[in-house]
Amino acid sequence: MIFPRGAARRTDHAAASDVVYDAVIVGAGVSGAIIANQLSAAGKRVLMLEAGPGDDITLDGYKSYLERFFASSIKHNQSPYADNPNAPMPKSTDAIKLEPGVVDSSGYLVQEGPFSTDTTYTRVFGGTTMHWEGKTLRMLPEDFETRTRYGQGRDWPLDYEALSGYYAQAELELATSADVEDQAFLGIRFDDGYVYPMKGLPLSYLDRQVDAGIKGTTVELGGKDYELKVRPFPQARNGIPNPDYDGGKGYEPIGAVSTHQVEEGLRCQGNINCVPLCPVQAKYNAGKTLAVAFQTGRVDLLAQTVASKVVIDPATGRVTEIEYKTYADPSSSEHATGTVRGKMFVLAANAIENARLMLASGLASTSGLVGRNLMDHAYLLSWALMPQVCGTGRGSVCTGGIQELRGGSFRRDQASFNVDIHNDGWGWAVGSPYSDLVEFVDERNRFGKELRTELVARLTRQLLLAFMVEVMPTESNRVSVDPAFTDQLGNMRPVISFQVPEYSLNGVAYGRQLARQLFDRLGAEDHTAYDPEDYGYVTHNGEGYVIRGGNHLGGTHIMGTSPTDSVVDADQRSWDHDNLYLAGGGSMPSIGSSNITLTVAALCFKTSEHIVARLRDDARPIEVGG
Amino acid sequence: MGLPHITTVESLHQYLHAALQLEHATIPPYLTALYSIHPGTNLDAVMVIRVVAVEEMLHLTLVANVLNATGGTPDLTGPGFVPSFPAYLPDGEDDFQVDLQSFSPAAVETFLKIERPGAAPEEEARVRAHDGPRSLLAAPGDDSMRFYSIGEFYEEIRRGLEYLHGELGDALFSGDPQRQVTPEYYYSGGGEIIPVTDLASASAAMELIAEQGEGLGGKIYDEEGEIAHYYRFEQLKLGRYYQPGDTAGSPSGPELSVDWDAVYPVKPNVVLDDLSAAPDLHASAARFNEHYADFLGLLTRSYTGEPKLLIDAVVEMFRLRDEMLSLLRHPMPGPGGLNAGPTFEIAGSS
Repeated sequence: MIFPRGAARRTDHAAASDVVYDAVIVGAGVSGAIIANQLSAAGKRVLMLEAGPGDDITLDGYKSYLERFFASSIKHNQSPYADNPNAPMPKSTDAIKLEPGVVDSSGYLVQEGPFSTDTTYTRVFGGTTMHWEGKTLRMLPEDFETRTRYGQGRDWPLDYEALSGYYAQAELELATSADVEDQAFLGIRFDDGYVYPMKGLPLSYLDRQVDAGIKGTTVELGGKDYELKVRPFPQARNGIPNPDYDGGKGYEPIGAVSTHQVEEGLRCQGNINCVPLCPVQAKYNAGKTLAVAFQTGRVDLLAQTVASKVVIDPATGRVTEIEYKTYADPSSSEHATGTVRGKMFVLAANAIENARLMLASGLASTSGLVGRNLMDHAYLLSWALMPQVCGTGRGSVCTGGIQELRGGSFRRDQASFNVDIHNDGWGWAVGSPYSDLVEFVDERNRFGKELRTELVARLTRQLLLAFMVEVMPTESNRVSVDPAFTDQLGNMRPVISFQVPEYSLNGVAYGRQLARQLFDRLGAEDHTAYDPEDYGYVTHNGEGYVIRGGNHLGGTHIMGTSPTDSVVDADQRSWDHDNLYLAGGGSMPSIGSSNITLTVAALCFKTSEHIVARLRDDARPIEVGG
Repeated sequence: MGLPHITTVESLHQYLHAALQLEHATIPPYLTALYSIHPGTNLDAVMVIRVVAVEEMLHLTLVANVLNATGGTPDLTGPGFVPSFPAYLPDGEDDFQVDLQSFSPAAVETFLKIERPGAAPEEEARVRAHDGPRSLLAAPGDDSMRFYSIGEFYEEIRRGLEYLHGELGDALFSGDPQRQVTPEYYYSGGGEIIPVTDLASASAAMELIAEQGEGLGGKIYDEEGEIAHYYRFEQLKLGRYYQPGDTAGSPSGPELSVDWDAVYPVKPNVVLDDLSAAPDLHASAARFNEHYADFLGLLTRSYTGEPKLLIDAVVEMFRLRDEMLSLLRHPMPGPGGLNAGPTFEIAGSS
């Protein structure tokens, strides 16, 4: 991300402590970025606290992330980022098989189990958009009322229609490419004449091969027939700008105009290593929004500043200040402490970190639900070898999938899911292409031209279906804190207790059976194997599966209609603390079968509107009655 | 001696054809220098050169739009469209030549000359009589005259557009609007593409080229806060970034480091004949030239009614880049320790 001139100007801690900001925002990820941008555009002064280093706001910083990723022998979501014991983050490689009753504290997440999750989020400037895949699915209207419709989960305090306008704002902010005709299904409705900012990105050749192969496949579920097809995903990647956008005004892609000597983002070129980081910044990251926010001159940033306590006035329940610990050297525990003040406070540090900070501050809320109802998609992977070469390996990572089973009356009994077709082949499941190379060399003694030919033949036929299975809120799935587990700065680490609910496992089991059926239909050779020694191994009705975390964290400051049943209201405002907002996936009462970022962004637009209105009302002169 | 004023549509088209050649002529030297840098090194220099090269591609497309709008037909495939290096610039500047060479202080000096600030000290100095070596490419209009800079060359086109619009009215812009390259097919290439339909958009296109290139009147930043090419390159020479408020020659921004040694030593202005002792290299270089010629053909089609082909052109550009990298990283046989490189010997079709 490249910052316009002046943007790199930061405040210092002494100067910041002298100011009562209109809003203090904890976390410079997508939620914090959108709220900072909206507030500063409305003339408000904003202070952002970012736990990670802020030097990465330069192009050199971005490039250094890429270089570290390219040079890593083990490539995962967090490979681009240096270890930072002062703002540690979970890595998928941390997860180990848990022994019953034994707490694993070897990674950043302290895992109580019984399920060992490899879920991650990124604590750097830009947050988890610095590793996200970039899918921007709207939730289904029925996802907002699963309790009413299906007797499962919780209803939202608002419906799809109430969020629809904010979805459109989010699609603009995240620079989304999609075609409405592909995305209007299962009740998803768009305003008349609406088009996405950019035209849909094409399905990959692999997608099209799968689509052709499964054409005509109908499955019966919950008494209804579903005809399966491959549908493109909406994506926060630069595509062809749609001249019809905004009533014919068109859309100018973010980063189209070079600023500050370098370009910010090209058009998607189909790089397969676009997760974690797009090499050409065609994929949105929160830095693009922050660049605009910083340009107002009203947003100050304190980087390497970890919020450590939310301080409440016991008389009013209002937040008075936030305590922080700031460090100069990530490898040293040496730090200074201080406080920052504002009229409004926003925690935008993601579902796990928001809950962690609240609980570490002793704020479990009236409902007692802070940290509870932790949700994350449960991913089931199935992989096979297609009979024909399918061009696997040509990116971006995921362009299409089977979306028809995201909604329907079957949700009374089993979780819905989305099926991703992974253009990067079996990488996620078994470590391709590296694992294939090792196998061909070590086990088959191949070399030279033969090795190349056989590798290519294998890799270009790989098909990986990732079933992204819904997980409903369950109070026992939770984040807590324990003074026995702290990080280098002495901040308490998140303790995770998680079990994949039966309801989700019903969906997992169905997904596995569907994968077999689809592989049959495609003539693909099923290579799926679930190792009982895998940390994510679970059993259900006598069958074993391996479940992976989805990095789509929600529920920990759940939204509802009253202080007794929830932590925040429909504006993400804390019921207990009048000037505190808990923003992000933690507010979501359900995550359905959508990757959560677009919904998180939409909610943050709603919250921004609310905060701006409140600040305006608060600033009005008080009329003295007479 | 009078100025070679543009007074007819025909002479306007001549100028615009020369402008296409001019914009293109800078791309091979920029890319050669860019790709000669060792991977992972000289990030500042890579960015500076890359941005300039990409903006030249934007300028090429903008010129094509103006030419199309005024009823001309862009052609990047004709004989001599690609200069033989070393080359004089096709706008007639004749006090320096442009080489294909590695990233080096000499290369940066040349880039500074290419992009030198536009405004001549006085009206009479915009062009001057030419008595040096003949430009390898025909200068438009009056072969005996040379412009002071690229900026003055474009200023002449801008004046010509205004003059002809005064004479002909909107009939000047009689070209097929379907040939315009629009933001759907061209973006993130160093600025916003401007579809040209009238005098205002044509002038805007010309101004964008002039502002991005050489700066207007020696200004470091344009109205959008973008820094002109000349000053971008000067940063490499001076080892420091400019920031707003700086005066020319005295940047005060962050330091910028250049490692002149982290560069492949490419033989300057390498030609196919230099590679005859290495048949594989020779074949690779010849193949690159064929692909480059094909690519210019593809661009010509994109500029003459099939703008969608610019999407396909992206894939071709990846191929060209890979081929260039492969050549630049290959040592030539024999002593001297120099590497090969793309020769850009394109005969062109007639």
